[in-house]
Amino acid sequence: MSLEQINWLLDVREYRRVAKNRKALREPGQGTDYTHERFREVVQRVVSRIHPRRMNLRVVEIIPQTATAKTFCFERVDGPLPPFRAGQYVNVLVNIEGVRTSRTYSISSAPMAERLELTVRDKPGGFVAPYLFNELKVGVVLETTGPAGHFYYEPLIDGEDLVFLAGGSGITPFMSMIRDTVQRQRPLRIKLLYGSRTPEDAIFRGELEKLAASHSNFIFSLVISEPPERYEGLTGFLDSEAITQLVGDVKGKTFYVCGPRAMHDFCKAALKEMGVPQRKIRRELYGAPDDVSKEPGWPEGLSEDMVFEVDVAGKKMILAKAGEPLLNALERSGLVVPALCRSGECSSCRIRLLAGKVFMPSQATLRESDRKGGYIHACVSYPLDNLKIRL
Amino acid sequence: MAQKYDAIVIGAGLGGLSGATMLAKNGLNVLLLERHNVPGGYATSFVRGRYEFEVALHELSNIGPKDLRGGLYRYLEYLGVAHKVEFLIVPHLYRSIFPGLDVTLPVGREAFEGKLCEVFPHESKGIHRFLERVFGLGRDFARVVKERGVGNPLSMPFRFPDFFRYLPTIWGQVLNRDVKDRLARAVISQYWGYVGLPPSKISFLYLATTLAAYVRRGPAFPVGRSQALSNAFMSTFEELGGEVRLNCGAQKIITENGRVCGVITDEEEEIRADWIVSNADPVTTCRDLIGFDKVPARFFTKLQSSEVAASTVNVYMGVDRSPEELGLTEHEIFINADHDLERHYEGTKNLEPPEAIAVTCYNAVYPDISPKGTCIVVLTALKYGEPWYEIPTEQYVDTKNRIGDAMVTMAEKVFPGLREYTEVVEVSTPLTNMRYAGAMGGSIYGFNQPPRDNMVWRMGHRGPLEGLYFVGAWTQPGGGFEPCMMSGQMAGGAILAKIKKRQEVK
Repeated sequence: MSLEQINWLLDVREYRRVAKNRKALREPGQGTDYTHERFREVVQRVVSRIHPRRMNLRVVEIIPQTATAKTFCFERVDGPLPPFRAGQYVNVLVNIEGVRTSRTYSISSAPMAERLELTVRDKPGGFVAPYLFNELKVGVVLETTGPAGHFYYEPLIDGEDLVFLAGGSGITPFMSMIRDTVQRQRPLRIKLLYGSRTPEDAIFRGELEKLAASHSNFIFSLVISEPPERYEGLTGFLDSEAITQLVGDVKGKTFYVCGPRAMHDFCKAALKEMGVPQRKIRRELYGAPDDVSKEPGWPEGLSEDMVFEVDVAGKKMILAKAGEPLLNALERSGLVVPALCRSGECSSCRIRLLAGKVFMPSQATLRESDRKGGYIHACVSYPLDNLKIRL
Repeated sequence: MAQKYDAIVIGAGLGGLSGATMLAKNGLNVLLLERHNVPGGYATSFVRGRYEFEVALHELSNIGPKDLRGGLYRYLEYLGVAHKVEFLIVPHLYRSIFPGLDVTLPVGREAFEGKLCEVFPHESKGIHRFLERVFGLGRDFARVVKERGVGNPLSMPFRFPDFFRYLPTIWGQVLNRDVKDRLARAVISQYWGYVGLPPSKISFLYLATTLAAYVRRGPAFPVGRSQALSNAFMSTFEELGGEVRLNCGAQKIITENGRVCGVITDEEEEIRADWIVSNADPVTTCRDLIGFDKVPARFFTKLQSSEVAASTVNVYMGVDRSPEELGLTEHEIFINADHDLERHYEGTKNLEPPEAIAVTCYNAVYPDISPKGTCIVVLTALKYGEPWYEIPTEQYVDTKNRIGDAMVTMAEKVFPGLREYTEVVEVSTPLTNMRYAGAMGGSIYGFNQPPRDNMVWRMGHRGPLEGLYFVGAWTQPGGGFEPCMMSGQMAGGAILAKIKKRQEVK
């Protein structure tokens, strides 16, 4: 008998071994018992601990911050608070006079704190913020999504020298990041440049000053754009001159920008001028553009007030304004579209455009195949024509 | 009166998309439910900044270049999906890096064998003998697939001698007889990560047909990433009259007299159908969707011998440098701490840094996948899901960063500057896989694939209740992009055969 023939026999004998092995594993108490309790709804149980889809948050305290800003402190009533990364937001789901909509708010408390805090500024002409200001009392329960977003310190690549450029209520994610850094004694060096209209408008000013005084790795500079008379602090805008003066050499530093849109454009230009590579700049966008007609690519001469008909296939016909995100028009008409970031990034509100044209500003980050396949992100889509869409 | 379809497919992973399209193609009125807001399951992509990342696909098998199309391409052609996607063919299989060895293996039987023999001249005879077995089995298996089975089992040893011989064997067993050099064994077994088990455990049939397919036709990658493939399936399915509901899963499967007869959707709507095809894992399907009491206990007894396969930790990196500047000139690069693949596999069961990673730089064959002057690099390590279940919530982020960081360090040793020029990075874990695809353990290959659960002997498509069918990695033929799509064809075919038989009886 040749060696190859012996090997053939050995191989064919495996039929028996495999059968025996399988049979043994199917005996009681052997193998994997998928009827065991640990496999019950295992995916949902395990995932919801880290990434709950929804959270019910009860207001336990309301802390006035400035004349226009309040911090709402919450405890979660439907489970423990999930982990998150300092800088992330939750999307607050509300039903205002029959309109189901949502807005994102950065978490201002540190991860793993006992309470989750959202700091909200009341914006004149706003829709959700005034509602929260009026309706949220201690004891009221609010529904939100789980924490989300990509604006956070990324230890894999961000290094240890961080520069935070905050404007107005854009301080909130930084507050969480700063609290997290000092509480967990992370070996980071942080410079916070906080641009505010007036000193009184600066949220968390007292706490930031205290933290800066007691932590040598945290430096806080407040820059006031409309200083009162005889104001002695720094004044002006966060332009390249101010940043250079306060930050010094930009090499090796990672920059984080969060604030009003005008400030983003301002800082972008300033950082470019200073030679900061794009890869060292992190930005948080809050929602859709304030004024879409100022976005590059907006059709010249088109009025934001133009109204178009939108045929929502199989559902209803609605009207939508050119200058308003399609998502808002859909929500106002009572249609429910899943939404999360409301900034064009996350693709939760991805819907299909069957006919007509929309404008999407550059902040809309569509998948290549979605763009080709006629999908749009409703939160940053503006009708330029009568539309037919499918949810 | 509840709405009624011929068939409802639960889950729009590639198995579900393929099964749904197969049924619609053959005239059935099909509803496809998907809980996520995009179709594809793992066959998807996501955007961060100016980079769009492929989530899961490294290399697609059995597509083949124009003059050598493979079985998968022909199936996609039959469905009417193929013409919607452009496939790029990868000119090499993989670059394999071990301490003291760095070799890139080309496509094509002769070139592949030639390269191996050049690196391991003392093993040329053994390598040749072993590859004869691999390709012999590959040929036999292609015929088995073509003829849809072996026919009379008694004739199998004569008609399909290699298939008969190697069906119950383990890869390592066969390889170790022919090749003695441990490093050579490791290089030849490098695709073990694509099948989820190391040489000492993986079915020979599995790894051999995988290797043979890639060597013969070359790996492929779809332009637009795997999301383009998923979108193409969905659009074809709809053109064939199928209906898709995204953002809407099934929360229950309704049964009547031991037969499945419909679902209750996440929106609490009851929808009826004669056939239910589940792309969810069998445990979720039978425990959570149908309910214990309605499923014969025998089903779970049989499942006892199947174990959930590994998941992954991925580090997705958008890098602000061209791939040439970083030396990333191959599509798929395996970096190994040493030649002990068995130890690397043992490491997949813990929460420690991995001993082996795959570095995929898509720009090598797909220059437009990211803006000019940049590249997309994905680091992948196999990790089982279960150890992640128990991590205290406050340690989750640190754990994933610790492992991700070690993977970047491992890649950086070969490609200096990788970390420094990285613009965006995202780390995914087994829990990420569970979250988006809903698979038990975040498994990427369904059940593990030892001989007892190889493509022939693993769970079939027919479920434990009349009318219920399974598609996806958990069922035949098994884990991987191509097998998942083929499972849809097989399950769809089984349903169509059943319908035909019924009509004949009538």
